[in-house]
Amino acid sequence: MTLLEITDLQTQFETSEGRVHAVDGVNLSLEANESLGIIGESGSGKTTIAKSIVRLLPDNGEIVDGEVRYDGDDITEYSDRQLRKQIRWNEIAVIPQNAMNGFDPVYTVGDQIVEVITAHTDTPNDEAMERAKSLFQTLGIDEDRVHDYPHQFSGGMAQRAMIALALALDPSLLIADEPTTALDVMIQDRILHRIQELQDELDTAMIFITHDMSVVSETCDKIAVVYGGRIVEFADTETIIKNPRHPYTLGLRNAFPSIMTDDQDLVSIPGTPPPLLEPDEGCRFAPRCPFAEERCWSETPQSEPYGDGNTIECHRADEHERIRPEASKSETWREQEEVIEADD
Amino acid sequence: MSFQSYVIRRIGQVIVTYWAFLTILFVLFRVVPGDPVSMHVQDLGAEAREERIAELGLDQPLYVQYVEYLRQLARADLGQSMIYNESVWNIIVVKFWNTIILMAASLILAYAIGILGGALLAWYRGTAFEKGGIVLTLLARSSPEFWTGIVLLGVFVFWLGLFPVGGMRSIGSELATGVGRYLSWDFVYHAVLPALTGAIYFLGTPALLMRNSMLDVLNADFIEIKKAEGLHPWNVLYKHAVRNSILPLVTIAAIAVGMAIGGSVVIETVFNWPGMGRAMVDAVNNNDYQLAMAAFFLMGSVVILMNFVADLLYVYLDPRVTYE
Amino acid sequence: MSNRQHEPASTTNSLADQVRRGWSTFTALFGNDRLGQIGLLLLLGFIFIGAFAPFLAPYDPGEMNRDDQGDILRLDGPSTDHLFGTTQLGRDVFSQVIVGTRVSLLVGVSAATMSVFIGTNVGLISGYKGGYVDDVLMRITDIAYALPFLPFVIVLVVILGADIMNIIIAIALIQWRSTARVVRSQVLSHKERPYVESAYAAGAGDLRVMYRHILPNVLPLVFLYAALAIAWAIIAEASIAFLGFGDPELHSWGQMIYDAYNVDAIRFAYWWVIPPGMSIVLLAMSVFFVGRTLEQITNPELRHRE
Ligand SMILES: Nc1ncnc2c1ncn2[C@@H]1O[C@H](COP(=O)(O)OP(=O)(O)OP(=O)(O)O)[C@@H](O)[C@H]1O
Ligand code: SF4
Ligand SMILES: [Mg+2]
Repeated sequence: MTLLEITDLQTQFETSEGRVHAVDGVNLSLEANESLGIIGESGSGKTTIAKSIVRLLPDNGEIVDGEVRYDGDDITEYSDRQLRKQIRWNEIAVIPQNAMNGFDPVYTVGDQIVEVITAHTDTPNDEAMERAKSLFQTLGIDEDRVHDYPHQFSGGMAQRAMIALALALDPSLLIADEPTTALDVMIQDRILHRIQELQDELDTAMIFITHDMSVVSETCDKIAVVYGGRIVEFADTETIIKNPRHPYTLGLRNAFPSIMTDDQDLVSIPGTPPPLLEPDEGCRFAPRCPFAEERCWSETPQSEPYGDGNTIECHRADEHERIRPEASKSETWREQEEVIEADD
Repeated sequence: MSFQSYVIRRIGQVIVTYWAFLTILFVLFRVVPGDPVSMHVQDLGAEAREERIAELGLDQPLYVQYVEYLRQLARADLGQSMIYNESVWNIIVVKFWNTIILMAASLILAYAIGILGGALLAWYRGTAFEKGGIVLTLLARSSPEFWTGIVLLGVFVFWLGLFPVGGMRSIGSELATGVGRYLSWDFVYHAVLPALTGAIYFLGTPALLMRNSMLDVLNADFIEIKKAEGLHPWNVLYKHAVRNSILPLVTIAAIAVGMAIGGSVVIETVFNWPGMGRAMVDAVNNNDYQLAMAAFFLMGSVVILMNFVADLLYVYLDPRVTYE
Repeated sequence: MSNRQHEPASTTNSLADQVRRGWSTFTALFGNDRLGQIGLLLLLGFIFIGAFAPFLAPYDPGEMNRDDQGDILRLDGPSTDHLFGTTQLGRDVFSQVIVGTRVSLLVGVSAATMSVFIGTNVGLISGYKGGYVDDVLMRITDIAYALPFLPFVIVLVVILGADIMNIIIAIALIQWRSTARVVRSQVLSHKERPYVESAYAAGAGDLRVMYRHILPNVLPLVFLYAALAIAWAIIAEASIAFLGFGDPELHSWGQMIYDAYNVDAIRFAYWWVIPPGMSIVLLAMSVFFVGRTLEQITNPELRHRE
């Protein structure tokens, strides 16, 4: 059953320099219990996609077009009140990047869990506190610590407490926006594992945002690759890891050692992310793409299906058998780097 | 450091501050040439002067006077008024409460309006409401208390005739004692304008500070999470944003108490309020140094006490404070 | 997040560079801030009036004007001869207001300079040295906070004599306290920054680190407090004069209202009361407007979209 279906989502920010097209026609779908990874470079629009779903955009941001269907209902049409009562935290909960700042510093963590439970249900305070304690146990935190203030927690512990808060109302969808980047590697791994286990146990769907391909490859069923506010490739994890078709995905893959197929040196994609102010026609990746042709510069590639429910946006998608081996060579990208430098 | 040892340390500091304050008071009124005491005795004839000097103990060496001065204060003995020939304590105690009540009303009003208004200014950032609010706030703060008072008098008394011109109770109204003095409509009727005058002057600082502090807090991640939690917007605003923004205002509140107490000299003069401030101005004008000194002493004591309370309150309100 | 700071000011730049940078900050700040512009304009207007007061005032402010019969023109309403009418003693209100501008500006600027000078040094030394020096200086600051402002100034003025200089000193003796506290807390946070360490590494002594490296970074805050101090000093002087403890030689705005109040003229002689009252408000407000703009240097979070 499809839990979340996003069609042609467009979110823009009004700035003094013009309108930033941060999300520019995104399509995504997610089944119940499924986990989806969203991956892309910094500034590609990952966070904006997440915030558009729960409509938590800053004052200067607005959803200008598209639908976000949750359980079949377009929630972009919901009133603020409806969204608050029916969707936020009941259905969709969020785990932020830096948990320490996600808690209000002047209340205990337990009180904050109680607050959200009592705001949405008729649960009496003491029962809600029991629930907070049991959530703490689930996450491996001593239950007495519900009475502690956020600043008394270590980073990893705060992140677990944040997850406890997110699970307070048994949401059907968890959105975790780089939930572990603020933590050190050891703790990151442990928390990621725990999140994965919980997701299985609790039958929750999940959107996992990161710029670390190795993280999503372990945690997610499907992966969406975002570039310049668009989903350039969307496929099951195995396909994205083993047989991706988009040159950008191929390039990203080279930057992470654990999933590399060939034993070559790490190479990152040369060049910088595209400007998002009033984008022109043409493929946004063209300036950095080693496989760009004439038409890549003038025609915007459209989303094409392939395989079992996968999509791709690239004029040369059909040539993937030939492109893939090329793209896994580091020289291909080094040469492109020289081309870019020569242009400057 | 534990909370207890923090409190003990603060008490130690307060005692030092208080002692220094008392010493300054002594120096101002007794030691400096041209001090109020010398002015008081110079008006008397030669013989009377000798007598008065001996009576006040002014012929003693300074350190003896100083020790005697501290001993008297320790016994809560504020001396005799030089003009009224009555114990200063008797004269001032009622005036003291008159002032405290008036200023408390002003401050509570100022902080209620300031916190609420400042929070709204931040919440509605970038709108015409915010702009207008800021201009009004700065206008209120730019107007000295005596001027605000005169304007209010002009409008509400001389023009509209809604309120009495001054004083604390109507002539012929029943003379109550103790707390009863403040529990009548007649008192409220007299207190509205002076309290409002103070409130208008004091509200600028909390309003602007609240706005700035709110703007900081509203950018914090946890506010976004609270919105994502689906809490009611008013809950996010008051339980979280306001509650966090209020912290810096606590320290300022103590300073505001100081300003209010000092400002009583002006407000009470404009509205003929029978309080400590006006008593002090009159006493200085009459060279009644015992009375002036007592008023000054009480004002300073309240301010020091409030600073101390504000410190403790801050520690109580902000769980992150480490007692340093 | 409230700690987001401006870049540490470099101390190696030439004076011309600094002036250029200062000017561009100035235009950037005031360029899109309507209130700041209004404040600046008003302030310049007052400075102009203050500077040329003797030429602008049509009468000697102390002169008793007489009508054609030779009687003193007491409490005469506004007319073409006397724009703002006359006082009880037949003095020209308009001229007094103009001359009073000088008093307010003089008090504002001198008291603010003195108090900010004291406050900055106390805060700098206290925050930088720490330990018992900090303790002692902060207790002294506590004491300044314990003294009720206006009553203290009144007593001091009575003792020292109601001379404008004494009033200024009395105001400054209390006002330095707020600058001292904020500068100290800023210094505490700057002390830990890398640029201070590199200054040590380069062999700078305490004095040099304090005044050449840290001070430039807290200077925007000092300017902000100077602006606020000007407004508060103006208001304080007016209040003292209103209570009758002002310099009797001067026609200050507060003194004018005191005179009117004393002869019970505030009920009807609006021409005598409103001009000085409004002048105080406008002058103080213009300084607050400018201060608000300056505040954005110290806290860029506050920059308003307009
Ligand atoms: N409030 C805003 N005003 C203007 N532009 C914004 C705003 N928020 C985000 N943007 C712009 O929108 C684009 C997408 O930002 P977003 O935060 O969604 O990226 P991201 O993929 O989450 O990046 P990161 O990995 O750094 O978190 C960026 O170019 C960013 O500069
Ligand atoms: S469309 Fe062209 S430029 Fe864009 S990714 Fe495909 S090959 Fe590269
Ligand atoms: Mg992001």
